Amino acid sequence: SVEGDAIKVYVRVRPPSEGTVLTDGDQGLCLSVLSSNTIRLHSKPEPKIFTFDYVANMETTQESVFSSVAKNIVESCMNGYNGTIFAYGQTGSGKTFTMMGPSDSDNFTHSLRGVIPRSFEYLFFLIEREKEKAGSGKSFLCKCSFIEIYNEQIFDLLDSASAGLFLREHIKKGVFVDGAVEQVLSSAAEAYQVLTMGWRNRRVASTSMNRESSRSHAVFTITVESLEKNNEIVNIRSSLLNLVDLAGSERQKDTHTEGLRLKEAGNINRSLSCLGQVITALVDVGNGKQRHVCYRDSKLTFLLRDSLGGNAKTSIIANVHPGSRCFGETLSTLNFAQRAKLIKNKAVVNEDTQGNVS
Amino acid sequence: MAAAGGGWAAVCEKFRSARTLSAVESRKDPETEPYRSKYSARALLQEVKQLLSAAEEGGEARVLAVRRAVLEYELGVNHTDTEELSAGEEHLQRCTQLLEPHRLSPDCVSLYIQAQNNLGILWSERDEIKTAQTYLESAEALYNQYMKEDGNPPLDPSEHFMAEEEKLTDQERSKRFEKAYTHTLYYLAQVYQHLEMIEKAAQYCHTTLKRQLEYCGYYPVEWALNAATLSQYYLSKQCFMESRHCLAAASVIFSQAGQVPSAEDNETEQDQQDLRQRKAEIARCWIKYCLNLLQSARKLLEDNIGELDPDRQLELKAQRKKEEDEKEKGRKKAVLFGTSDICDSVLAMEEKVSSVYPLDFQEAREIFLVGQNYVQEAKEFFQVDGYVTDHIEIVQDHSALFKVLAFFEEDYERRCKMHKRRVDMLEPLYADLNPQYYLLISRQLQFELADTYYEMMDLKVAIGNRLEELDSHTIKKINSLAQLAIKYYELFLDSLRNPDKVFPEVLEEDVLRPAMVAKFHIARLYGKLITSDSKKQLENMQTSLEYYTFLVDYCEKHPDAVHAIETELELSKEMVGLLPTRMERLRAKLCPFI
Repeated sequence: SVEGDAIKVYVRVRPPSEGTVLTDGDQGLCLSVLSSNTIRLHSKPEPKIFTFDYVANMETTQESVFSSVAKNIVESCMNGYNGTIFAYGQTGSGKTFTMMGPSDSDNFTHSLRGVIPRSFEYLFFLIEREKEKAGSGKSFLCKCSFIEIYNEQIFDLLDSASAGLFLREHIKKGVFVDGAVEQVLSSAAEAYQVLTMGWRNRRVASTSMNRESSRSHAVFTITVESLEKNNEIVNIRSSLLNLVDLAGSERQKDTHTEGLRLKEAGNINRSLSCLGQVITALVDVGNGKQRHVCYRDSKLTFLLRDSLGGNAKTSIIANVHPGSRCFGETLSTLNFAQRAKLIKNKAVVNEDTQGNVS
Repeated sequence: MAAAGGGWAAVCEKFRSARTLSAVESRKDPETEPYRSKYSARALLQEVKQLLSAAEEGGEARVLAVRRAVLEYELGVNHTDTEELSAGEEHLQRCTQLLEPHRLSPDCVSLYIQAQNNLGILWSERDEIKTAQTYLESAEALYNQYMKEDGNPPLDPSEHFMAEEEKLTDQERSKRFEKAYTHTLYYLAQVYQHLEMIEKAAQYCHTTLKRQLEYCGYYPVEWALNAATLSQYYLSKQCFMESRHCLAAASVIFSQAGQVPSAEDNETEQDQQDLRQRKAEIARCWIKYCLNLLQSARKLLEDNIGELDPDRQLELKAQRKKEEDEKEKGRKKAVLFGTSDICDSVLAMEEKVSSVYPLDFQEAREIFLVGQNYVQEAKEFFQVDGYVTDHIEIVQDHSALFKVLAFFEEDYERRCKMHKRRVDMLEPLYADLNPQYYLLISRQLQFELADTYYEMMDLKVAIGNRLEELDSHTIKKINSLAQLAIKYYELFLDSLRNPDKVFPEVLEEDVLRPAMVAKFHIARLYGKLITSDSKKQLENMQTSLEYYTFLVDYCEKHPDAVHAIETELELSKEMVGLLPTRMERLRAKLCPFI
């Protein structure tokens, strides 16, 4: 179980956009890739070395990112495991390029298409292969949903008219978004279509500092159900594949990823609204087991909590921009990625039997 | 001021619009341009600044400086709001520089404190929490010094751009000043939390909550949730009096929430549901309170084999009598929430449940019943359909309440029935639960069920030992309970296997102890199974030995596991030494002629 269970962390360094190196006085780069799993950050006074499962340098192709990050997750999805792939990083670090591909094209035959379209292709390739092998004995049903989490509210990207949706739990099916549209998929081409349609509905904002930054998390979920008939026995297996494009990390003030920032009091009446989170943090460090905090995890962590230290296969791609102006954000992304490797299910079996040995 | 007249009125008007844009309009900005109004406000403030420099000639220097400081402050906040920190810092620094000589005077003190609050926030955004701390602590000190030396309601910063007739009342001034200071405390609470000065942070949270009540600056539901959460902090510190006070206040303030007519009178169904959920959350905090109080009392009362120690019980009862609650009263003054009205209701609420350790079954039962009522209340909202995790957690608490109550029960038969209740509530949930999504809870339930059956078996053995001879009914009962305990321990151990059904070579830290305890208990259970068939008995002993051996071998290979199961390991070693001899003897009896 050493293989596959822990969260895998990949770092990808994007090339600086054209012209950056010229305008940045001091040669521009704040990091160098030392090997396929180490990266050196030129921090002062001492440079810092980070080690990850895989480091993709600026020359790494989309195909090779896909093979190292996603291939194996899609495969285990066919074997009944849940899988999740996250992209993390500041705005402009290449998350969307990694996940989707070049932003101006809806054309997923593009040679630069990203992890998501490639996962579709691979998934349907595997399904076809399985079907051929098993003949009429095995059938598959693929469904997908595409939701957005913005300001702790959930919206359905496949139904732009829908209002906020809710997370619920089912004792057999786990966590689900109540009322989200589910579309049946029969080919990769259909999946592209759904993806393209939903992507256009995402919330994006411009500020004078950031040209454009996505302020929402987008979660594309594919459910793969297989039905196998073996003589009289019917075997049904179902698994989820979540493909997640997170909001720019600089925007995630409200999730656990932030560092030491203070929460501000709201302007009008609604002052001091985050006091609860502070108190929650105090309670968390207490050592007694029996306590309840009234504040739920963020919607995103609740939805994906299986993926974060449950029995699922999860990869995180941390995207960084090598420019020296991005030093601060890059450091915080690498620190986050380092922490992510440690994510484990912390809650322990409630075991208070002390050697009672009468 | 000479240049005043119409010009000044226009300046004030611009300033006012800027503030409205920034505070009110900006909330309606489209998602694609989140800072549109803030940018317009910024432009207006720049204009005001220009006009002010033009008027510089005629004005009194101090007045002008203060007005300029107000503008620098507004610009500073504006820039930090729009993610331009460096510019924001420059403005705020200029503001405090201009005010430095006058910071203790009534027209400046509030502005100065607010500027320091904002500098504190700004430095925390840069992950420089120590720097933030110095600004905020100096704001706190300034407030205290001002209140000591002057204490009159100071001017609100916005008044520097108001016509004489619009100026605020003393009451309003004081309200705004106190609010700015409450913010200082609120930020300090966060600073201390980040610096891991937990106790201090809790104290500042408590004070913030207290001040919110005093100055009516709160939303009932939000306040109640915060207080309920704070109660959980006190629980982890075993401060039951403080914990109960927070919870009682939470319940009282929460009940206000229903009474206040909301802005839009027709509350949506969503709001109603939200309200019900919050109520259930507070109930869950109460459950934990009862559970902790009972469990802590149990810790005090139990002897070295986990039974109630009557000597200890007498001792504690005598001690309680002696200790008049003088000490408590002193502590209580420091944390009391609310003014007379609220305070009375809170005290009335507190009376419904004790905050001292229960020392006998009767006292324990009263706390148990309060906890059980809150279990029902919480379950009304957190139904299994829709809230699987929460629902099961509540049922687990219910089971834990029974478990600790059983400790206080002297009658073994009745005690056994209490454990049966636990099984009855947990078993059906476990049967339905899909471990693909709820692996962790599923493991918890397996373990808890195994443990409960184990305890029931022990009780039946104890009851049986009082009889002259074990009747067949009791034997059957003991064996079936032992088998059920084994079944659930095995299910738990199976859940640790990898997808290829192989048991891990090295156990993860978080399951190490439970897995070892499970192995150990299974070993003991095989030793307890009663059978008249000697061959069967030999088999059981063999199985028992295998499980004991597992423990010993594992710890030999992984010496760092020893600390987690010292007692169990010692006994296992002993058994690994003893069992083979016993088995040898049994074998000899079986085939005496070999």
